[in-house]
Amino acid sequence: MIQLTDGAIEALAGGSEVNDAILQLVSIRKIEGGNGPVRYRVMMSDGRHTMSSFMLCTQLNFMAEENLLAPNCLVLIKRHVTNTLKDGRRVVIILETEVLKPAADVKGRIGNPTPYSDGQAKAPQQAAPPAAPVSRPPLQAQIGNDPPSSASVPPPVNRAVGKDFGKKPAAPTTPGGASKVVPIASLNPYISKWTICARITNKSGIRTWSNSRGDGKLFSMEVVDESGEIRVTSFNQEVDKFFGLIEVGKVYYISKGNLKVANKRFTTVKNDYEISLNGETSIIPCEDNCDVPIVQCDFITIGDLEKKEKDSLVDVIGVCKSVGEVIRLTTKTNREVSKRTINLMDASGKMVMLTLWGEEAEQFNGTSQPIVAVKGAKLSDFGGVSLSASFSSTLMTNPDIPEAYKLRGWFDKEGHRMEGQSVTELKGSGGMGNSVWKTLADVKTENLGHGEKADYYTCIGTIVYMRQDNCLYRACPSPDCNKKVVDQYNGMYRCEKCDKEFPNFKYRLILSANISDYTNNQWVTCFQETAESILGQNAAYLGQLKDSNEGAFDEIFQKANFSTFVFRNRVKLETYNDESRIKATVLEVKPVDHQEYSRRLIMNIRKMAAK
Amino acid sequence: MMSDNQGLPRPRINSSMLSRYISKPVCFVGRVEKVHPTGKSFTITDGEGQCVHVELNYPLAEELSGIVEVIGMVSNKGAIMATTFQCLPEEKGINFNLELYNEAVKIIHDFPEHYPFEVAPAESDLF
Repeated sequence: MIQLTDGAIEALAGGSEVNDAILQLVSIRKIEGGNGPVRYRVMMSDGRHTMSSFMLCTQLNFMAEENLLAPNCLVLIKRHVTNTLKDGRRVVIILETEVLKPAADVKGRIGNPTPYSDGQAKAPQQAAPPAAPVSRPPLQAQIGNDPPSSASVPPPVNRAVGKDFGKKPAAPTTPGGASKVVPIASLNPYISKWTICARITNKSGIRTWSNSRGDGKLFSMEVVDESGEIRVTSFNQEVDKFFGLIEVGKVYYISKGNLKVANKRFTTVKNDYEISLNGETSIIPCEDNCDVPIVQCDFITIGDLEKKEKDSLVDVIGVCKSVGEVIRLTTKTNREVSKRTINLMDASGKMVMLTLWGEEAEQFNGTSQPIVAVKGAKLSDFGGVSLSASFSSTLMTNPDIPEAYKLRGWFDKEGHRMEGQSVTELKGSGGMGNSVWKTLADVKTENLGHGEKADYYTCIGTIVYMRQDNCLYRACPSPDCNKKVVDQYNGMYRCEKCDKEFPNFKYRLILSANISDYTNNQWVTCFQETAESILGQNAAYLGQLKDSNEGAFDEIFQKANFSTFVFRNRVKLETYNDESRIKATVLEVKPVDHQEYSRRLIMNIRKMAAK
Repeated sequence: MMSDNQGLPRPRINSSMLSRYISKPVCFVGRVEKVHPTGKSFTITDGEGQCVHVELNYPLAEELSGIVEVIGMVSNKGAIMATTFQCLPEEKGINFNLELYNEAVKIIHDFPEHYPFEVAPAESDLF
């Protein structure tokens, strides 16, 4: 049994916000708007009082036109704004409402409500409605910036009212004087004549298609004004007419196109509708464009990218910390395309890889670490979390927006010292900037490797001991097989895996070493590549030396002892015959980059000091 | 070369710290900016881009450029009266990152409890 919100009328009349009021619609009346769209005035009841100074915002006109709002229905007022007229009367503009019970299902009026008297000078049959031009969602300053339809409200009673609402001077009119300019946010399919004054933020290329119904071409663009943004698509003849005319970054008056519900999958543009240009559309350059913003983005921090779903479109802004080279590759459809990856870092300290394609990739200039903003980038799960600038994304370098200045300030002050932890995990992606740094004491105190999965960490360590004996073994000479061979003592060596005998073998390294840092030490195993890096010789040569010149063999180990490297290790608890031991394997060994190490130490010191 | 500095610590500083070390020995690392025609002085810039004047006892024997480490006393005009200096030639190996060095210098001064300036006792003092 739906209950009306008792006392809501009194509260609203008193100017208070009432959240989620459930009211009954008593009557609804259409008010012709002169130059602007029609308005609907409604009288609502909370069972105790009625009040007739409710207006529907123009976005909701369709509810009246489609008879959803009929006398007696019960509605939930989800969003509203209350305006106070100069004479103290209140007008409630309904911005969003839901019909809880249609009129047909409600038997008559609930309760015995009487007109709320305070502030309501006359009976509900008042002829002239108060002007209520607020047709925008509350993200805009409510009363100040209004579409000029308020200026056309009928005089005597309402001239005072008009002054309250119509603070903005006459809005720009189109050169032809056809219709007044409206904010993008107020566009909806039920307005027949409209003009917007907006800046082009993104323009796609011309795409053609060919199907059973024939051929066609289209291009699309995104436009923005102070109230919001909207996507605009042009087909066939309109493509020829407008494609050459439109320049990204410039402002135009766009009038008369089809408004329809937007296909959200293809765009991050925040608008429920999108525009299709038609034969009546006119697009005229606008000279006076200082008020129109450059771009509308809803940036999310790089740290939050992990929370978003794969393939969703996101807007991201960050400092371009590093730039990759342009590479050419051939796609599955045998097309050649250019590709470049860049790394962006923001104030969250996190970094993400962004892939650029085509001309954008070729022309990208990453010198002096610019601020890069991308609108409508596709979130991919490649490398865990990464971004791709698609056909419809907008890439901006050093954009003239407040977020960019903020980022630049942060980066110049502290961000430039940070390493940035990348959310994109790639093997050996240049520099250990993506690593989890640990001291050898941390590895033990944090019980790394004790969990179900292996743990990975990076550390700086010094080799303090190497097991010289048994560091080499004889392996199967087949290219992809490293299995230890059995000496048949007849000059042949047998590989059980390949099930073959060979007259030769190849030497391979398994080096057991102890590495140490200022906190602790760790036994690690280095296989072929990492062992060769540490010893500075390849396995074949070492094997030969061991057999022929022990002195030289020893010297190699002496030289390698007490050398310091950056180690990337894998550690896991392994159980063998009831005994559990931590096994650490070296995955990668690199010389210490002292500048990078310094920076990291300085950053850690500063971080610790700040706590 | 004067050796009266040997008993005292010679902290590493940058130009912003000069005023605190007037009449004290310091160690200053910077990039050579300009050498005076007489060869008896030159200017160097530190990691913050600030220029400092260095005076020598004897004129330079050869051209000076690149990164140089100067040990000397700070005069009350904020110049360094060098007792000795050393070049860090850039052709040999990795480039010296003066800005990073400056960050490190700031750290040792911001955390004196962790980076005390002391001179190790001479062996003769231990017995």
